Amino acid sequence: MSSLNFSPRVPVIDANVCVGNHHTGPSPCQSPVQLLEEMDFHGVERAVIYHAQGEQISPTDGNRYLEDWLDEDGRLIPQWSVAPVETSMGQIAELHGRGRVRSVRLHDCQSAGLPFLPWGYDDLLTFLSDAGIPLWIPLMDVETDHLVTTLKAYPDLHAVLVGAHYTHALVVRGLLEASPRAVLELSRYEPIGEVEALVERFGAERFVYGSWYPRYAMGPILFYLHHTRMGEDELARVCAGNVERLLGRTETS
Amino acid sequence: MIDGTRVIDYHGHVGRWERYGMVDDPELLLGAMDAVGIDVACLFHIFHPDGTTGNDLTAKFVARNPDRFVGFAYVSPTMPDRMVPELERAIDKLGFPAIKLYPPYTPWPFNEEPWHPIYEFAQDRGLAIIFHTDHFINSRPRYFEDLAPAYPRVNFVSAHCGNVPEARAEAIAAAQKYPNVYLETCSTYRTPGVIEELVEKGGADRVLYGSDMPLMDPRPQIGKIITARISDEAKRMALGENAARLLGI
Repeated sequence: MSSLNFSPRVPVIDANVCVGNHHTGPSPCQSPVQLLEEMDFHGVERAVIYHAQGEQISPTDGNRYLEDWLDEDGRLIPQWSVAPVETSMGQIAELHGRGRVRSVRLHDCQSAGLPFLPWGYDDLLTFLSDAGIPLWIPLMDVETDHLVTTLKAYPDLHAVLVGAHYTHALVVRGLLEASPRAVLELSRYEPIGEVEALVERFGAERFVYGSWYPRYAMGPILFYLHHTRMGEDELARVCAGNVERLLGRTETS
Repeated sequence: MIDGTRVIDYHGHVGRWERYGMVDDPELLLGAMDAVGIDVACLFHIFHPDGTTGNDLTAKFVARNPDRFVGFAYVSPTMPDRMVPELERAIDKLGFPAIKLYPPYTPWPFNEEPWHPIYEFAQDRGLAIIFHTDHFINSRPRYFEDLAPAYPRVNFVSAHCGNVPEARAEAIAAAQKYPNVYLETCSTYRTPGVIEELVEKGGADRVLYGSDMPLMDPRPQIGKIITARISDEAKRMALGENAARLLGI
Protein backbone atom coordinates (compact mmCIF):
# COMPACT_ATOMS: atom_id res chain seq x y z
CA MET A 1 0.00 0.00 0.00
CA SER A 2 1.07 3.55 -0.63
CA SER A 3 2.20 6.27 1.67
CA LEU A 4 2.36 10.02 1.14
CA ASN A 5 6.11 9.61 0.80
CA PHE A 6 8.02 7.10 -1.28
CA SER A 7 11.45 5.52 -1.29
CA PRO A 8 12.46 2.58 -3.46
CA ARG A 9 12.86 -0.81 -1.77
CA VAL A 10 15.54 -2.04 -4.15
CA PRO A 11 18.74 -0.58 -5.62
CA VAL A 12 17.97 1.62 -8.60
CA ILE A 13 19.84 2.53 -11.76
CA ASP A 14 18.05 4.99 -14.02
CA ALA A 15 18.70 3.72 -17.55
CA ASN A 16 17.69 6.89 -19.34
CA VAL A 17 18.82 10.36 -18.28
CA CYS A 18 19.62 13.27 -20.57
CA VAL A 19 22.12 15.92 -19.48
CA GLY A 20 22.96 19.33 -20.88
CA ASN A 21 20.88 21.75 -22.87
CA HIS A 22 19.03 20.98 -26.06
CA HIS A 23 19.39 23.61 -28.77
CA THR A 24 15.76 24.53 -28.15
CA GLY A 25 16.21 25.63 -24.55
CA PRO A 26 17.84 25.12 -21.18
CA SER A 27 17.49 22.03 -19.05
CA PRO A 28 16.15 22.41 -15.51
CA CYS A 29 19.26 20.53 -14.42
CA GLN A 30 22.45 22.48 -15.11
CA SER A 31 25.17 20.53 -13.31
CA PRO A 32 26.22 17.08 -12.12
CA VAL A 33 25.67 18.26 -8.55
CA GLN A 34 22.05 19.11 -9.34
CA LEU A 35 21.55 15.79 -11.07
CA LEU A 36 22.99 13.85 -8.14
CA GLU A 37 20.74 15.79 -5.77
CA GLU A 38 17.72 14.81 -7.88
CA MET A 39 18.83 11.19 -7.87
CA ASP A 40 19.30 11.27 -4.10
CA PHE A 41 15.82 12.73 -3.60
CA HIS A 42 14.26 9.82 -5.51
CA GLY A 43 16.55 7.10 -4.19
CA VAL A 44 18.35 6.50 -7.48
CA GLU A 45 21.88 5.24 -6.93
CA ARG A 46 23.28 5.48 -10.45
CA ALA A 47 22.16 6.77 -13.83
CA VAL A 48 23.04 6.13 -17.44
CA ILE A 49 23.51 9.59 -18.93
CA TYR A 50 23.80 10.91 -22.47
CA HIS A 51 24.16 14.49 -23.67
CA ALA A 52 21.28 16.41 -25.24
CA GLN A 53 23.47 17.69 -28.04
CA GLY A 54 24.19 14.11 -29.02
CA GLU A 55 20.49 13.45 -29.37
CA GLN A 56 19.55 16.06 -31.92
CA ILE A 57 22.59 17.91 -33.23
CA SER A 58 26.01 16.25 -33.10
CA PRO A 59 26.83 12.90 -31.53
CA THR A 60 30.56 13.67 -31.50
CA ASP A 61 30.16 17.08 -29.86
CA GLY A 62 27.56 15.69 -27.47
CA ASN A 63 29.99 13.02 -26.36
CA ARG A 64 32.69 15.61 -25.72
CA TYR A 65 30.28 17.66 -23.61
CA LEU A 66 29.28 14.51 -21.76
CA GLU A 67 32.78 14.26 -20.30
CA ASP A 68 32.04 17.34 -18.16
CA TRP A 69 29.21 15.46 -16.46
CA LEU A 70 31.12 12.41 -15.32
CA ASP A 71 31.65 12.23 -11.60
CA GLU A 72 34.56 10.66 -9.80
CA ASP A 73 32.62 8.01 -7.91
CA GLY A 74 30.97 6.56 -10.99
CA ARG A 75 27.33 7.25 -10.14
CA LEU A 76 26.88 8.83 -13.56
CA ILE A 77 27.53 6.22 -16.25
CA PRO A 78 28.31 7.65 -19.68
CA GLN A 79 26.32 6.59 -22.68
CA TRP A 80 27.87 7.71 -25.92
CA SER A 81 25.73 8.83 -28.84
CA VAL A 82 26.53 7.34 -32.21
CA ALA A 83 25.60 7.78 -35.86
CA PRO A 84 26.69 5.60 -38.80
CA VAL A 85 29.17 8.17 -40.10
CA GLU A 86 32.94 8.10 -40.05
CA THR A 87 33.52 10.81 -37.45
CA SER A 88 31.10 9.33 -34.99
CA MET A 89 32.15 5.72 -35.39
CA GLY A 90 35.80 6.74 -35.18
CA GLN A 91 35.14 8.47 -31.89
CA ILE A 92 33.32 5.41 -30.51
CA ALA A 93 36.13 3.11 -31.65
CA GLU A 94 38.67 5.34 -29.91
CA LEU A 95 36.65 5.37 -26.69
CA HIS A 96 36.18 1.63 -26.95
CA GLY A 97 39.91 1.19 -27.36
CA ARG A 98 40.33 2.88 -24.00
CA GLY A 99 37.71 0.62 -22.41
CA ARG A 100 35.22 3.41 -21.90
CA VAL A 101 32.20 2.20 -23.86
CA ARG A 102 29.55 0.34 -21.92
CA SER A 103 26.60 1.39 -24.06
CA VAL A 104 25.79 3.65 -26.99
CA ARG A 105 22.68 5.49 -28.08
CA LEU A 106 21.38 5.85 -31.60
CA HIS A 107 21.45 9.39 -32.96
CA ASP A 108 18.39 10.26 -35.03
CA CYS A 109 19.34 9.87 -38.70
CA GLN A 110 15.90 8.91 -39.94
CA SER A 111 14.86 12.55 -39.92
CA ALA A 112 17.73 13.14 -42.37
CA GLY A 113 16.49 10.36 -44.64
CA LEU A 114 18.55 7.38 -43.47
CA PRO A 115 16.25 4.51 -42.48
CA PHE A 116 17.34 2.13 -39.74
CA LEU A 117 18.05 -0.71 -42.14
CA PRO A 118 21.07 -2.97 -42.53
CA TRP A 119 22.33 -1.29 -45.70
CA GLY A 120 22.81 1.96 -43.78
CA TYR A 121 23.98 0.57 -40.45
CA ASP A 122 25.93 -2.60 -41.19
CA ASP A 123 29.37 -1.38 -40.09
CA LEU A 124 28.05 0.05 -36.86
CA LEU A 125 25.81 -2.86 -35.92
CA THR A 126 28.44 -5.44 -36.81
CA PHE A 127 30.92 -3.61 -34.57
CA LEU A 128 28.47 -3.37 -31.68
CA SER A 129 27.43 -7.01 -32.01
CA ASP A 130 31.04 -8.21 -32.08
CA ALA A 131 32.04 -6.01 -29.14
CA GLY A 132 28.97 -6.88 -27.07
CA ILE A 133 28.04 -3.20 -26.72
CA PRO A 134 24.32 -2.61 -26.14
CA LEU A 135 22.54 -0.03 -28.28
CA TRP A 136 19.79 2.21 -26.87
CA ILE A 137 17.27 2.98 -29.67
CA PRO A 138 14.66 5.74 -29.22
CA LEU A 139 11.48 4.35 -30.74
CA MET A 140 10.35 7.70 -32.11
CA ASP A 141 13.52 7.90 -34.21
CA VAL A 142 13.03 4.66 -36.16
CA GLU A 143 10.26 3.01 -38.16
CA THR A 144 8.93 -0.08 -36.42
CA ASP A 145 9.18 -2.23 -39.52
CA HIS A 146 12.80 -1.17 -40.06
CA LEU A 147 13.55 -1.94 -36.42
CA VAL A 148 12.18 -5.47 -36.64
CA THR A 149 13.98 -6.12 -39.90
CA THR A 150 17.30 -4.84 -38.62
CA LEU A 151 17.23 -6.47 -35.20
CA LYS A 152 16.50 -9.81 -36.90
CA ALA A 153 19.51 -9.25 -39.15
CA TYR A 154 21.80 -8.74 -36.12
CA PRO A 155 20.65 -11.39 -33.66
CA ASP A 156 23.63 -10.87 -31.34
CA LEU A 157 22.95 -7.17 -30.90
CA HIS A 158 21.63 -6.17 -27.48
CA ALA A 159 19.07 -3.42 -28.05
CA VAL A 160 17.28 -1.32 -25.46
CA LEU A 161 14.11 0.16 -26.94
CA VAL A 162 13.56 3.58 -25.43
CA GLY A 163 10.48 5.72 -24.98
CA ALA A 164 7.55 3.46 -25.82
CA HIS A 165 4.35 5.47 -25.38
CA TYR A 166 0.70 4.47 -25.35
CA THR A 167 0.73 5.28 -29.04
CA HIS A 168 3.09 2.29 -29.39
CA ALA A 169 0.62 -0.05 -27.70
CA LEU A 170 0.01 -2.01 -30.89
CA VAL A 171 3.69 -2.62 -31.64
CA VAL A 172 5.40 -3.30 -28.31
CA ARG A 173 4.49 -6.97 -28.03
CA GLY A 174 5.36 -7.61 -31.65
CA LEU A 175 8.72 -5.93 -31.21
CA LEU A 176 9.57 -7.99 -28.15
CA GLU A 177 8.41 -11.19 -29.87
CA ALA A 178 10.39 -10.50 -33.01
CA SER A 179 13.55 -9.39 -31.23
CA PRO A 180 14.35 -11.87 -28.45
CA ARG A 181 17.36 -9.90 -27.21
CA ALA A 182 15.55 -6.57 -27.14
CA VAL A 183 14.82 -4.94 -23.79
CA LEU A 184 12.12 -2.32 -23.26
CA GLU A 185 12.84 0.85 -21.30
CA LEU A 186 9.73 1.97 -19.42
CA SER A 187 9.98 5.74 -18.93
CA ARG A 188 6.70 6.59 -20.60
CA TYR A 189 4.87 3.33 -21.15
CA GLU A 190 1.57 3.84 -19.31
CA PRO A 191 -1.22 1.70 -20.83
CA ILE A 192 -3.12 0.37 -17.86
CA GLY A 193 -1.81 -2.89 -16.47
CA GLU A 194 0.68 -3.36 -19.29
CA VAL A 195 3.87 -3.50 -17.23
CA GLU A 196 2.54 -6.48 -15.31
CA ALA A 197 1.14 -8.09 -18.45
CA LEU A 198 4.41 -7.66 -20.33
CA VAL A 199 6.51 -8.96 -17.45
CA GLU A 200 4.26 -12.01 -17.17
CA ARG A 201 4.45 -12.61 -20.92
CA PHE A 202 8.14 -11.94 -21.58
CA GLY A 203 9.84 -12.15 -18.18
CA ALA A 204 11.26 -9.37 -16.02
CA GLU A 205 14.66 -9.62 -17.70
CA ARG A 206 13.24 -7.85 -20.77
CA PHE A 207 12.51 -4.54 -19.02
CA VAL A 208 14.49 -1.71 -17.46
CA TYR A 209 13.52 1.31 -15.40
CA GLY A 210 14.33 4.64 -16.99
CA SER A 211 12.91 8.06 -16.24
CA TRP A 212 14.08 10.05 -19.27
CA TYR A 213 14.75 12.86 -16.82
CA PRO A 214 14.48 15.83 -17.30
CA ARG A 215 11.99 15.30 -20.08
CA TYR A 216 9.97 13.50 -17.42
CA ALA A 217 10.13 13.56 -13.65
CA MET A 218 12.37 10.90 -12.14
CA GLY A 219 9.96 9.55 -9.54
CA PRO A 220 6.60 8.55 -11.06
CA ILE A 221 7.64 5.47 -13.04
CA LEU A 222 9.81 4.27 -10.17
CA PHE A 223 6.82 4.64 -7.84
CA TYR A 224 4.67 2.75 -10.38
CA LEU A 225 7.09 -0.16 -10.62
CA HIS A 226 7.02 -0.50 -6.84
CA HIS A 227 3.22 -0.84 -6.91
CA THR A 228 2.78 -3.67 -9.39
CA ARG A 229 2.34 -7.41 -8.92
CA MET A 230 6.01 -7.99 -9.67
CA GLY A 231 7.86 -9.96 -7.02
CA GLU A 232 10.84 -8.42 -5.24
CA ASP A 233 13.33 -10.29 -7.38
CA GLU A 234 11.60 -9.14 -10.56
CA LEU A 235 11.45 -5.57 -9.27
CA ALA A 236 15.14 -5.64 -8.46
CA ARG A 237 15.97 -6.83 -11.94
CA VAL A 238 13.85 -4.18 -13.64
CA CYS A 239 15.13 -1.37 -11.42
CA ALA A 240 18.83 -2.19 -11.67
CA GLY A 241 19.84 -5.78 -12.33
CA ASN A 242 18.98 -5.89 -16.00
CA VAL A 243 20.77 -2.70 -16.91
CA GLU A 244 23.78 -3.79 -14.85
CA ARG A 245 23.84 -7.00 -16.85
CA LEU A 246 23.64 -5.08 -20.12
CA LEU A 247 26.36 -2.62 -19.15
CA GLY A 248 28.55 -5.40 -17.85
CA ARG A 249 28.86 -6.98 -21.25
CA THR A 250 31.77 -4.70 -22.13
CA GLU A 251 34.80 -3.17 -20.47
CA THR A 252 34.10 -0.65 -17.74
CA SER A 253 35.18 2.96 -17.98
CA MET B 1 -6.78 5.44 1.38
CA ILE B 2 -3.27 6.77 1.55
CA ASP B 3 -2.13 7.58 5.07
CA GLY B 4 -5.73 8.24 6.11
CA THR B 5 -6.62 10.36 3.08
CA ARG B 6 -9.49 9.21 0.88
CA VAL B 7 -8.09 9.29 -2.65
CA ILE B 8 -10.31 10.44 -5.52
CA ASP B 9 -9.12 10.19 -9.11
CA TYR B 10 -10.85 13.06 -10.91
CA HIS B 11 -10.21 11.98 -14.51
CA GLY B 12 -11.06 8.59 -16.02
CA HIS B 13 -12.90 7.13 -18.97
CA VAL B 14 -15.45 4.52 -19.85
CA GLY B 15 -15.04 3.19 -23.38
CA ARG B 16 -12.46 1.34 -25.43
CA TRP B 17 -9.73 2.57 -27.73
CA GLU B 18 -7.77 -0.61 -28.32
CA ARG B 19 -5.19 0.83 -30.67
CA TYR B 20 -3.81 2.74 -27.70
CA GLY B 21 -4.22 -0.08 -25.22
CA MET B 22 -7.31 1.49 -23.62
CA VAL B 23 -9.73 -1.14 -22.36
CA ASP B 24 -12.42 -0.32 -19.78
CA ASP B 25 -12.25 -3.60 -17.93
CA PRO B 26 -13.38 -2.86 -14.36
CA GLU B 27 -11.04 -5.49 -12.94
CA LEU B 28 -8.10 -3.76 -14.62
CA LEU B 29 -9.11 -0.38 -13.22
CA LEU B 30 -9.82 -1.70 -9.74
CA GLY B 31 -6.58 -3.69 -9.68
CA ALA B 32 -4.52 -0.61 -10.46
CA MET B 33 -6.54 1.53 -8.05
CA ASP B 34 -6.19 -0.96 -5.21
CA ALA B 35 -2.45 -1.27 -5.77
CA VAL B 36 -1.95 2.37 -4.78
CA GLY B 37 -4.91 3.12 -2.55
CA ILE B 38 -7.24 4.99 -4.91
CA ASP B 39 -10.70 4.83 -3.35
CA VAL B 40 -12.88 6.43 -6.00
CA ALA B 41 -12.48 7.24 -9.69
CA CYS B 42 -14.58 9.72 -11.67
CA LEU B 43 -15.44 8.37 -15.13
CA PHE B 44 -17.04 9.66 -18.31
CA HIS B 45 -17.64 8.41 -21.84
CA ILE B 46 -16.78 10.93 -24.55
CA PHE B 47 -17.06 8.90 -27.74
CA HIS B 48 -20.74 9.53 -28.57
CA PRO B 49 -21.87 13.09 -29.45
CA ASP B 50 -25.47 12.45 -28.43
CA GLY B 51 -24.33 12.13 -24.82
CA THR B 52 -27.04 9.59 -24.05
CA THR B 53 -25.24 6.55 -25.42
CA GLY B 54 -22.07 7.22 -23.49
CA ASN B 55 -23.79 8.38 -20.33
CA ASP B 56 -25.82 5.17 -20.22
CA LEU B 57 -22.64 3.14 -20.63
CA THR B 58 -21.04 5.16 -17.84
CA ALA B 59 -24.03 4.58 -15.57
CA LYS B 60 -23.93 0.85 -16.28
CA PHE B 61 -20.21 0.70 -15.55
CA VAL B 62 -20.57 2.68 -12.32
CA ALA B 63 -23.53 0.57 -11.16
CA ARG B 64 -21.33 -2.52 -10.95
CA ASN B 65 -19.11 -0.84 -8.35
CA PRO B 66 -21.01 2.18 -7.06
CA ASP B 67 -18.74 2.65 -4.06
CA ARG B 68 -15.65 2.91 -6.30
CA PHE B 69 -16.78 4.87 -9.35
CA VAL B 70 -18.61 8.15 -9.94
CA GLY B 71 -20.06 9.01 -13.34
CA PHE B 72 -19.88 12.44 -14.98
CA ALA B 73 -22.29 13.60 -17.70
CA TYR B 74 -20.99 14.17 -21.21
CA VAL B 75 -22.73 16.23 -23.92
CA SER B 76 -21.58 17.89 -27.11
CA PRO B 77 -22.70 21.14 -28.80
CA THR B 78 -22.52 19.30 -32.12
CA MET B 79 -26.00 18.05 -31.16
CA PRO B 80 -27.32 21.24 -29.56
CA ASP B 81 -30.94 20.20 -29.12
CA ARG B 82 -29.90 17.26 -26.99
CA MET B 83 -27.52 19.04 -24.66
CA VAL B 84 -29.73 20.37 -21.91
CA PRO B 85 -32.31 17.53 -21.93
CA GLU B 86 -29.48 15.02 -21.71
CA LEU B 87 -27.83 16.95 -18.89
CA GLU B 88 -31.12 16.98 -17.01
CA ARG B 89 -31.42 13.23 -17.48
CA ALA B 90 -27.81 12.47 -16.56
CA ILE B 91 -27.83 14.65 -13.44
CA ASP B 92 -31.38 14.00 -12.22
CA LYS B 93 -31.97 10.40 -13.26
CA LEU B 94 -28.50 8.87 -13.51
CA GLY B 95 -27.30 10.78 -10.47
CA PHE B 96 -24.08 12.16 -11.97
CA PRO B 97 -22.64 15.03 -9.89
CA ALA B 98 -20.57 16.79 -12.57
CA ILE B 99 -20.01 17.35 -16.29
CA LYS B 100 -17.18 16.53 -18.70
CA LEU B 101 -16.62 18.45 -21.97
CA TYR B 102 -14.22 17.69 -24.80
CA PRO B 103 -13.69 20.71 -27.11
CA PRO B 104 -11.35 18.91 -29.62
CA TYR B 105 -14.33 16.87 -30.81
CA THR B 106 -16.19 20.04 -31.83
CA PRO B 107 -15.58 22.97 -34.22
CA TRP B 108 -15.75 25.59 -31.45
CA PRO B 109 -13.47 27.05 -28.79
CA PHE B 110 -15.16 26.40 -25.49
CA ASN B 111 -15.83 30.06 -24.72
CA GLU B 112 -18.02 30.43 -27.82
CA GLU B 113 -21.78 30.61 -27.89
CA PRO B 114 -22.66 26.99 -28.75
CA TRP B 115 -21.31 25.88 -25.35
CA HIS B 116 -23.14 28.39 -23.19
CA PRO B 117 -26.39 26.47 -22.63
CA ILE B 118 -24.25 23.92 -20.78
CA TYR B 119 -22.78 26.63 -18.58
CA GLU B 120 -26.19 28.10 -17.86
CA PHE B 121 -27.41 24.67 -16.80
CA ALA B 122 -24.38 24.17 -14.57
CA GLN B 123 -24.81 27.67 -13.12
CA ASP B 124 -28.39 26.89 -12.16
CA ARG B 125 -27.32 23.66 -10.46
CA GLY B 126 -23.98 24.78 -9.07
CA LEU B 127 -22.09 21.98 -10.84
CA ALA B 128 -18.45 21.39 -11.64
CA ILE B 129 -17.35 20.97 -15.27
CA ILE B 130 -14.08 19.35 -16.29
CA PHE B 131 -12.74 20.42 -19.71
CA HIS B 132 -10.03 18.80 -21.76
CA THR B 133 -7.48 21.60 -22.12
CA ASP B 134 -4.35 21.92 -24.23
CA HIS B 135 -2.56 24.46 -26.45
CA PHE B 136 -4.85 24.10 -29.46
CA ILE B 137 -7.41 26.75 -30.31
CA ASN B 138 -10.54 24.95 -29.12
CA SER B 139 -9.15 24.04 -25.72
CA ARG B 140 -7.08 26.96 -24.40
CA PRO B 141 -7.28 27.39 -20.63
CA ARG B 142 -7.34 31.17 -21.07
CA TYR B 143 -11.04 30.83 -21.90
CA PHE B 144 -11.68 30.21 -18.21
CA GLU B 145 -11.05 33.91 -17.69
CA ASP B 146 -14.17 34.59 -19.77
CA LEU B 147 -16.28 31.91 -18.16
CA ALA B 148 -15.34 31.88 -14.48
CA PRO B 149 -16.62 35.40 -13.68
CA ALA B 150 -19.67 34.96 -15.89
CA TYR B 151 -20.73 31.72 -14.17
CA PRO B 152 -19.60 32.08 -10.56
CA ARG B 153 -21.55 29.04 -9.29
CA VAL B 154 -19.78 26.75 -11.74
CA ASN B 155 -16.45 25.21 -10.80
CA PHE B 156 -14.26 24.99 -13.91
CA VAL B 157 -11.64 22.23 -13.95
CA SER B 158 -8.73 22.39 -16.40
CA ALA B 159 -8.00 18.75 -17.28
CA HIS B 160 -4.33 18.08 -18.01
CA CYS B 161 -3.82 21.66 -16.89
CA GLY B 162 -3.17 22.51 -20.52
CA ASN B 163 -0.49 19.82 -20.96
CA VAL B 164 2.30 22.15 -22.14
CA PRO B 165 3.96 25.14 -20.45
CA GLU B 166 2.24 27.99 -22.30
CA ALA B 167 -1.22 26.50 -21.80
CA ARG B 168 -0.40 25.53 -18.21
CA ALA B 169 0.49 29.15 -17.52
CA GLU B 170 -2.95 30.18 -18.77
CA ALA B 171 -4.65 27.68 -16.47
CA ILE B 172 -2.64 28.86 -13.49
CA ALA B 173 -3.37 32.51 -14.30
CA ALA B 174 -7.09 31.77 -14.41
CA ALA B 175 -6.90 29.93 -11.09
CA GLN B 176 -5.06 32.86 -9.55
CA LYS B 177 -7.78 35.27 -10.65
CA TYR B 178 -10.88 33.23 -9.98
CA PRO B 179 -11.73 30.98 -7.03
CA ASN B 180 -13.84 28.68 -9.20
CA VAL B 181 -11.00 27.44 -11.43
CA TYR B 182 -9.24 24.14 -10.61
CA LEU B 183 -6.15 22.44 -12.00
CA GLU B 184 -6.20 18.70 -12.79
CA THR B 185 -2.93 16.86 -13.12
CA CYS B 186 -3.11 13.95 -15.56
CA SER B 187 -0.89 14.11 -18.62
CA THR B 188 1.62 12.08 -20.54
CA TYR B 189 3.79 15.17 -20.11
CA ARG B 190 5.22 14.25 -16.72
CA THR B 191 7.57 17.20 -16.70
CA PRO B 192 9.64 17.69 -13.53
CA GLY B 193 8.35 20.42 -11.27
CA VAL B 194 4.83 20.69 -12.68
CA ILE B 195 3.02 19.57 -9.54
CA GLU B 196 5.19 21.87 -7.47
CA GLU B 197 4.35 24.75 -9.85
CA LEU B 198 0.62 24.09 -9.65
CA VAL B 199 0.68 24.03 -5.86
CA GLU B 200 2.94 27.04 -5.49
CA LYS B 201 1.26 29.29 -8.06
CA GLY B 202 -2.30 28.00 -8.24
CA GLY B 203 -2.67 26.97 -4.62
CA ALA B 204 -2.85 23.52 -3.06
CA ASP B 205 -6.60 23.96 -2.61
CA ARG B 206 -7.04 24.06 -6.41
CA VAL B 207 -5.10 20.99 -7.48
CA LEU B 208 -6.94 17.77 -8.34
CA TYR B 209 -5.23 14.45 -8.91
CA GLY B 210 -6.41 12.71 -12.10
CA SER B 211 -5.03 9.84 -14.16
CA ASP B 212 -6.86 9.52 -17.51
CA MET B 213 -7.31 5.83 -16.80
CA PRO B 214 -7.68 3.44 -18.53
CA LEU B 215 -5.87 5.26 -21.35
CA MET B 216 -3.09 5.59 -18.81
CA ASP B 217 -2.37 3.57 -15.73
CA PRO B 218 -3.25 5.57 -12.61
CA ARG B 219 -0.08 4.48 -10.80
CA PRO B 220 2.54 6.66 -12.54
CA GLN B 221 0.05 9.52 -12.53
CA ILE B 222 -0.51 9.35 -8.79
CA GLY B 223 3.24 8.89 -8.49
CA LYS B 224 3.59 12.43 -9.80
CA ILE B 225 1.85 13.70 -6.65
CA ILE B 226 3.52 11.34 -4.19
CA THR B 227 7.07 12.01 -5.48
CA ALA B 228 6.64 15.78 -5.82
CA ARG B 229 8.44 18.21 -3.53
CA ILE B 230 5.28 19.46 -1.85
CA SER B 231 4.03 19.20 1.71
CA ASP B 232 2.04 16.24 2.96
CA GLU B 233 -0.86 18.62 3.49
CA ALA B 234 -0.74 19.71 -0.16
CA LYS B 235 -0.62 16.06 -1.21
CA ARG B 236 -3.71 15.26 0.86
CA MET B 237 -5.60 18.16 -0.71
CA ALA B 238 -4.63 17.19 -4.26
CA LEU B 239 -5.23 13.48 -3.77
CA GLY B 240 -8.75 13.72 -2.46
CA GLU B 241 -9.80 16.52 -0.16
CA ASN B 242 -10.32 19.08 -2.94
CA ALA B 243 -12.27 16.64 -5.11
CA ALA B 244 -14.49 15.58 -2.21
CA ARG B 245 -15.31 19.21 -1.54
CA LEU B 246 -15.99 19.94 -5.21
CA LEU B 247 -18.26 16.95 -5.71
CA GLY B 248 -19.88 16.91 -2.30
CA ILE B 249 -18.98 13.27 -1.79
